[in-house]
Amino acid sequence: MTDDTTQPMPEHALARLAGLRREGHPDGIFTSDFSVNEFLLVRKAGFEPIGLCVGSCIYHLGFQFAGWTASQELDLLSTAMYEARALAMERMRAEAQNMGADGIVGVRLAVKRLEWDAKVLEFVAIGTGIVHGKGHTGFKGPNGQPFTSALSGQDFWTLLQSGYRPLEMVMGSCVYHVARRGPMAALGSVGQNVELTNFSLALYEAREIAMERMQLEATKAGAEGVVGADLHEGSHNWSSHVIEFFAIGTAIVPIEGGADPERIPDPKLVLSVNS
Amino acid sequence: MGLFGALFRRRGPSAEALERARAWEEALERDALPPFVEERLAGAAAGRAAWVATMSPAELRLVRSHGIRPVATVSGTCWYHYGWSWTQGHAEGWHLALDRIRREAAAAGANAVVDVRMRTLRHTFGASMDFTLIGTAVKIDRLPPSPDPVVATVPALEFVRLIEAGIVPVGIAVGAQYEWMDNTGWGGGGGGWSSGWSGPTWNTQSVLRSWNSQPLYELTDFWEGIRRAAHAELRRNVAPMGNGVLAHIQFGEIIKQERDKQPPNFLGRHIVIGTVVDTPRRAELSPDIEPVVDMRDSLSPLRLPGAARHSAYSADIIDQEGAI
Repeated sequence: MTDDTTQPMPEHALARLAGLRREGHPDGIFTSDFSVNEFLLVRKAGFEPIGLCVGSCIYHLGFQFAGWTASQELDLLSTAMYEARALAMERMRAEAQNMGADGIVGVRLAVKRLEWDAKVLEFVAIGTGIVHGKGHTGFKGPNGQPFTSALSGQDFWTLLQSGYRPLEMVMGSCVYHVARRGPMAALGSVGQNVELTNFSLALYEAREIAMERMQLEATKAGAEGVVGADLHEGSHNWSSHVIEFFAIGTAIVPIEGGADPERIPDPKLVLSVNS
Repeated sequence: MGLFGALFRRRGPSAEALERARAWEEALERDALPPFVEERLAGAAAGRAAWVATMSPAELRLVRSHGIRPVATVSGTCWYHYGWSWTQGHAEGWHLALDRIRREAAAAGANAVVDVRMRTLRHTFGASMDFTLIGTAVKIDRLPPSPDPVVATVPALEFVRLIEAGIVPVGIAVGAQYEWMDNTGWGGGGGGWSSGWSGPTWNTQSVLRSWNSQPLYELTDFWEGIRRAAHAELRRNVAPMGNGVLAHIQFGEIIKQERDKQPPNFLGRHIVIGTVVDTPRRAELSPDIEPVVDMRDSLSPLRLPGAARHSAYSADIIDQEGAI
């Protein structure tokens, strides 16, 4: 008879903790940058991590002239900023494809400046390649390639629960030069509260272009929508009147025969009292 | 001897301290622990001395309900000087520290060390650094002591949750790699870059000097090669311990070395460190997950001034000095 009242623990875990090792790992070794919770939720969603996928692109940003009084897109820089990120993402996706991944979750896209040259930027895309545990093939991205998504493990589980699956990360970039105001216009507004219309218009236009490009990418990929869309404003060591608007999000489609909206459970409201 | 001698003697270490220093030195030399450390750990294991843990009461409750008992705080330190390679020095330093914390855990009769933290003093003595691991050795009631305790970087709370899900965090793995991109092809670390006047450094230089926007393909390929090699080494390092790794620490940098009348050389180095896990693939997770909405205000995006979502004003309305 046993008087063991403690919670049960899996046998193989106990064997390992007693100092016994399994020899050989038939399925190979996976690498990932998941947290504990992310790992558990990706498994709960029916997937297994297989490997960290990283792509980078070290890019030399050139120069583009813009007239003092012209509000205009600096198309060469827009293309450059987009191309650099797209290359990093493409290399990451190629790594995932080589591993046989169904997709990549938790993708982070970062821009690093190399300290020895202000014109050189490193674009890095990093995420964890995953495969469906039972070999389900319906989760691939466009053209049978691995899907990409900025969703964390938690978000990924939640998205599948709501009847959607990620397709690919979509983005749009617009580098814009905001015109300087002429001396007469500046004098005319001294001491007055007025709208600086040309600045407003420039921000509108730059943001609109970035959003349009992202939306177009999502539509072309056959997505129903984009989740986690975010718009960043940034300046990468450019003159003060040059600004980049960058839109990024994860395009999603409904899972075939996915969840019926009626059957998605309502989350319960909780109030934790210990923090 | 007189007054001078008495003062002089008093300033030196006592006989007991000298004895301890000798014991430490001897222990390090033969990869063992000094007798007084063994005694302290054995005392904690046998319940003769108080146990010591970094756990919070909530964590203690959880480990006790799973039949786990904290034993002692254990550590491993290695102050390591890097001579021919900074990068490889880091890998070696952590590996030595890992061996030492495992030794202390085994002396404490433990099955695992949880909440292991990687620490470094911010003191530099030349090209050297200390690599320190500190954690709480724990014993599982129903198991015999392990000859080879697992080293888990996760706190007790997550340790239990992982074990329940059939995932054992078993250790720390390090993958480190460096390489030179230069014109001679004489790279350190086994670099295999070709030479010649149109070599990668010449091409890189010409792109860096241009007005055009374009990718630096050679530098990118060089950099990706280093990173892949570091990840491959990480996998090799994982293989004897488990079948997966959660790599949370990624450090990389490219350093430019200017040269006279020649294009610059580039040094790339990458270190990746992670928690090794051992788990059967495709394991079923037993507890169901229930979605909840937490109603605490601190989680509401409206309450995070200065964050990306809400960036117009940086401070809250009440910008006070502190409690009255």
